Amino acid sequence: MKSSLRTEVGGVSLETPVIVASGVWPMDPRLWPAGSIEGVGAVCSKGMTLEPREGNRGLRIVETYSGVLNSIGLQNPGVEHFIAEELPLLDNSGRPVIVNVAFETLEDLGKMLERLKSFRSMVVAVEMNVSCPNVSRGGMSWGVHLESLGSAVSMAREVWEGPLWVKLSPQAPSIGEFARASQEGGAQAVVVGNTWLGMAIDNDLERPFFENVFAGLSGPAILPLALRAVWEAAGAVDIPVIGCGGIARPGDALSMILAGASAVEVGTALFIDSGLPASICRELEANLTKKGLASVRELVGRARNYQGEIGERLR
Amino acid sequence: MDRSGDPMKGPPADRRGSISFSRPLGDHCVHMGIELEGLSSKAIPGQFFLIRERGVLDPLLGRPLALVASEGNVLEFLFRVSGRGTARLATLPPGAALELRGPCGNGFPEPVRNELVLVAGTLGIAPFIGIPSFCSERVRITAVLGVPGKGWEPFVEWCSERFTGIRINSDDGSIGRHGDPVEDTLLIVGQRHEVWGCGPEAMLRGLGRVHEKGCDRLLVSLEKRMACGTGGCLGCSIRTGSGSKRVCVDGPVFEWRQVFGGSHEI
Repeated sequence: MKSSLRTEVGGVSLETPVIVASGVWPMDPRLWPAGSIEGVGAVCSKGMTLEPREGNRGLRIVETYSGVLNSIGLQNPGVEHFIAEELPLLDNSGRPVIVNVAFETLEDLGKMLERLKSFRSMVVAVEMNVSCPNVSRGGMSWGVHLESLGSAVSMAREVWEGPLWVKLSPQAPSIGEFARASQEGGAQAVVVGNTWLGMAIDNDLERPFFENVFAGLSGPAILPLALRAVWEAAGAVDIPVIGCGGIARPGDALSMILAGASAVEVGTALFIDSGLPASICRELEANLTKKGLASVRELVGRARNYQGEIGERLR
Repeated sequence: MDRSGDPMKGPPADRRGSISFSRPLGDHCVHMGIELEGLSSKAIPGQFFLIRERGVLDPLLGRPLALVASEGNVLEFLFRVSGRGTARLATLPPGAALELRGPCGNGFPEPVRNELVLVAGTLGIAPFIGIPSFCSERVRITAVLGVPGKGWEPFVEWCSERFTGIRINSDDGSIGRHGDPVEDTLLIVGQRHEVWGCGPEAMLRGLGRVHEKGCDRLLVSLEKRMACGTGGCLGCSIRTGSGSKRVCVDGPVFEWRQVFGGSHEI
């Protein structure tokens, strides 16, 4: 990749600003589709919990209009298995590894980060998944309660010395406020965001498709929502924002960056196009050439500087 | 099918292709040929491809379809029109641009016995079509098919052209024997037989109930909703006697016992 795409985001040096989102590629890079690594700046692990989790029962995937509802339920083998079996494989992928951690208690979070500390050389950043339930608040997600989020981020900051990112929940009442709380807690970047809660009904059986009733919506259907959230977050914090949600074509990634994202995460679209990271990189390079710019960093937030009629309202 | 003994064991690849032919088989099914751009794809029976219309974001996901046959650069598939994705695929004309991810999954192994019985519920026949040319000539194959009945005649005829002596069963008795294919196998399966099944879960469970102890090896090919096809999203995970398995990479072909043998829910 050309040096014009090199960037630094939240304490992590990236060859390109395109990151594979959590829960997309398997932990064993030998299973990744041929050529899919091209253009990838970093890879997020599957969401990791302290103990193994079997994941949800019943149907896990329902396709919607230009989107996918999923109810996987954080199926994962637990942090010990991850460290012993999966992290070394991911480390061999030749790309920086970001470990996505999910937790139901602060104690779990602390224990996981303590374990990961010994493998700091293989983990370029920790990405906190705050969309899972906080057991001490009756199962309300960490990411929709400002104090819960703040306490979790501060706690993680005390334990984990490396780069710390927070993957915000789109269900947060105010993306800007929650991004600020993450910054104040010590996060070095916010990922905006995760899947959007939705549902689907089986009309024949007259019941919700999913055992958990609600499920997470991803895919191109959510791009406008995610883009708006990125815009809000980028206006609220000084730390970098990583745009995540609905990117399916190279131009979508450019839109995220122009809205204020310093990097992007791609997920669902990789289910249909493993070459997307490479095509995003080509699009960004072409855009830099067209504008006579030297670095992708110069593209970040340019739509916010628009000087036309709506320019005043943007600021 | 590739008989060189060098099945595709690496990861799947995303490939471009276009429809070379598309023929309805009655009201329910389509037989489609897809010409790949570039090199042909090595795959074995039981492996599958995720297939979608190129450049379109709705429907979004590829539909997992078992490979039926391959001739040069043309891959053949069978599918039942059952939702938005397959309905869309069924209406596309020859020349329409597609994307394929594959070959995915493990596929069938070489049979261990010389007597192989293939039991299919309707479109469950798809992964079996390539078996005769895949297996060595020592293997004697008997195909047993179950269909609902009326309206399935063109599909049955198509299958009959591919398996000499295929045993046809229909729920309504209008085609072949009146009854289900599992009952039909009671007459033909013994200890020296190997049995492979593909079809609805109830049929596969039934197959094991009658043959699990009565035949030499019982394999099933499973169908599940999928998104990635590479073992990443865990949308197709099942619980088995030996832990969680992904149908897309650990399967779709499993030992019957592993999937249905225990008390666990799959």
